Amino acid sequence: MVVAGVDLGTECVKTVVVDGDGKIVGRATVPTRGYFQDCFQEATGTALQEAKVPAAQLAAVCATGFAASCVPIASQALSETLCHARGAWHTVKKEMTVVDIGGRDPKVIHVDARGAVTASRSVRKCAVGIGTFLMFASRHLDVHPTRLMDLATSAAKAAPVGSYCSVFSEVEVIELLRQGSTAGEIALGCMISIADRILEIDHLENPIYITGGVCEYFPGVVKALAERSALSVEILPEPILAGAFGAALYALDQARG
Amino acid sequence: MPTVNRPSRSAEATFRSSARLKELMAAHFTGVDRAAREKSAPVAWCTSVGPVELLRALGYQVFFPENHGALLGASRVAGEVMGRAHALGYSPDICSYLTSDIGAYLARKSPLTRYGLSGAPRPDLLLYSTNQCREVRDWFEFYGREWNLPVVGVTSFRDLGEVEDSHVEAITRQLEGLIPALEAVAGRRLDAPALEQAVERSRTCSDLWRDCLNSSASRPAPLSFFDATIQMGPAVVLRGTAEACDYYRLLKAELSERVTAGAGAPHRERFRLYWDGMPIWGRLRDLSTLFASLGTSVVASTYCNSWVFDALDPRDPLRSMARASLELFIARAEGPKQRYLERMAHEFSVDGLVFHDARTCPNNSNVRFGLAQRLRRASHVPVLVLDGDLNDLRCFSDEQARTNIEAFVEQLEGAVPATAGGGHG
Repeated sequence: MVVAGVDLGTECVKTVVVDGDGKIVGRATVPTRGYFQDCFQEATGTALQEAKVPAAQLAAVCATGFAASCVPIASQALSETLCHARGAWHTVKKEMTVVDIGGRDPKVIHVDARGAVTASRSVRKCAVGIGTFLMFASRHLDVHPTRLMDLATSAAKAAPVGSYCSVFSEVEVIELLRQGSTAGEIALGCMISIADRILEIDHLENPIYITGGVCEYFPGVVKALAERSALSVEILPEPILAGAFGAALYALDQARG
Repeated sequence: MPTVNRPSRSAEATFRSSARLKELMAAHFTGVDRAAREKSAPVAWCTSVGPVELLRALGYQVFFPENHGALLGASRVAGEVMGRAHALGYSPDICSYLTSDIGAYLARKSPLTRYGLSGAPRPDLLLYSTNQCREVRDWFEFYGREWNLPVVGVTSFRDLGEVEDSHVEAITRQLEGLIPALEAVAGRRLDAPALEQAVERSRTCSDLWRDCLNSSASRPAPLSFFDATIQMGPAVVLRGTAEACDYYRLLKAELSERVTAGAGAPHRERFRLYWDGMPIWGRLRDLSTLFASLGTSVVASTYCNSWVFDALDPRDPLRSMARASLELFIARAEGPKQRYLERMAHEFSVDGLVFHDARTCPNNSNVRFGLAQRLRRASHVPVLVLDGDLNDLRCFSDEQARTNIEAFVEQLEGAVPATAGGGHG
């Protein structure tokens, strides 16, 4: 038996295919552009190719994320809170705080020892767009987003980027460039800014596990989060896939009845 | 686990009494408007939890601008007109009832046209109490300047721990001080029996309205928060009148029938929630259907209980009005607020609390000083915070709210993962 979980986010669409034992046998991540339905087809087609199974053999499909409603073949749709918690708990299997940092609104999710979500809180509306902000910052710094981390690592000090609002922060980046800050200092400032916004969402308790695409491409955010909170912060394996993996596990539950 | 279905309105209740409610509200609006146009009675604007009984006793027809603000929000006219008030210097960060109402006045738009009115009826006097916020005074003073009218009111205490006799005395003195101005515009003296009657009717209305709200302590709850925001109309705009009392007798009887029949609103009640803070007027229907589709009933609220005045006593009208105005939840400090919410959560057997953090209404957003976290720790009741606003939908994200509500209901289900093997291969 194979099932799929699909996480349709504002920056990437991710599909994970798991077998009857919950083992990942196919995965794909495609950038979000145009219609979500097309991204879903592309990501799921690639993941099924890796799994070497046709779509018709999918016993269940669980969708999650911003555009979960855009998966016509979904047998269920669940919130990303639940799916990220499930994906993380499946790997860690202990009480923890999951911090999901994706393209839109990061979340702090408290999970008990049984894997149940006991509380969750997302960033307030005027501070959304965190992952997307890093993409915009890359444009202003004239580097590909994947280079932003190298730039930040090269900086000896951070240029302060402090606005709640990602649009205001973007203006701050331009202003810092005008004032002569280096691209590296600004890149590091952006990562620290995101860490600070996350620390404001809710009280964090050890152990902390990070999921979502931001830590996959910008691990400097996690480093800043650990330094500024003085807490132990770990990144889950394949963090960008945590939501889709959790969704796939729920699909498996459903297929098993 | 639930599949997240498209919300369906069929999951919600309808009320037989609503036909009478519509008649009553229409008669209220047209009655005040007629008095304003024909000068057949003095007309006053009053804040929603202000000292309306004084106005009733002096024969005023009374209009409530906050009710107009809610109508502007629910009809989504607010979004079209608020910018007019912003341009006049009324910030987008202050009360969006105020900016909606002043914007509507400037744009000459009003949902009251459905009742045949051209807009809010023009008053002869404006009467406020700052027991809920300072904005109401600024709001009324705009019109006082615009129309050169008297603006009078009570400058109240806020953030009260215990309501002391000295507080009550001070507000009583202010109420007494208002009487000459109210009499001058009305052209008559305040009649003591008339005031006692108005206070008695307000108290009766309050008691009946509380009985209606308390019917939702039953399982399933016959009246949801979303229904109650509509049903509370007479408790707001007709407080102190016999008509309001008659209406709530009718509604109470219908709710009793629903309790006996086990009819819930919504029909399916897997979970029961409490709502604290303002309604999100422009999304009332959407949120109602979303919660209903998730089998979740919002059974009680701080907001709808704001028109329950236990202290009112016709034997001591002014002093009891003063005490009632100070005992309101919105006028209290964090300690009494937490105790109130804990009591309500217990009495209504709720599975969780929803706090609406309304961007432009800090005085009625109770999550800004750690109350939600303290409550969660003390009572172990799960808490959800929704960012939004009463009228300014630019402060509300449909997608973020939907995701958070769905996640909260999933949390209430207490889903414990089945133990599948495997993982990252």
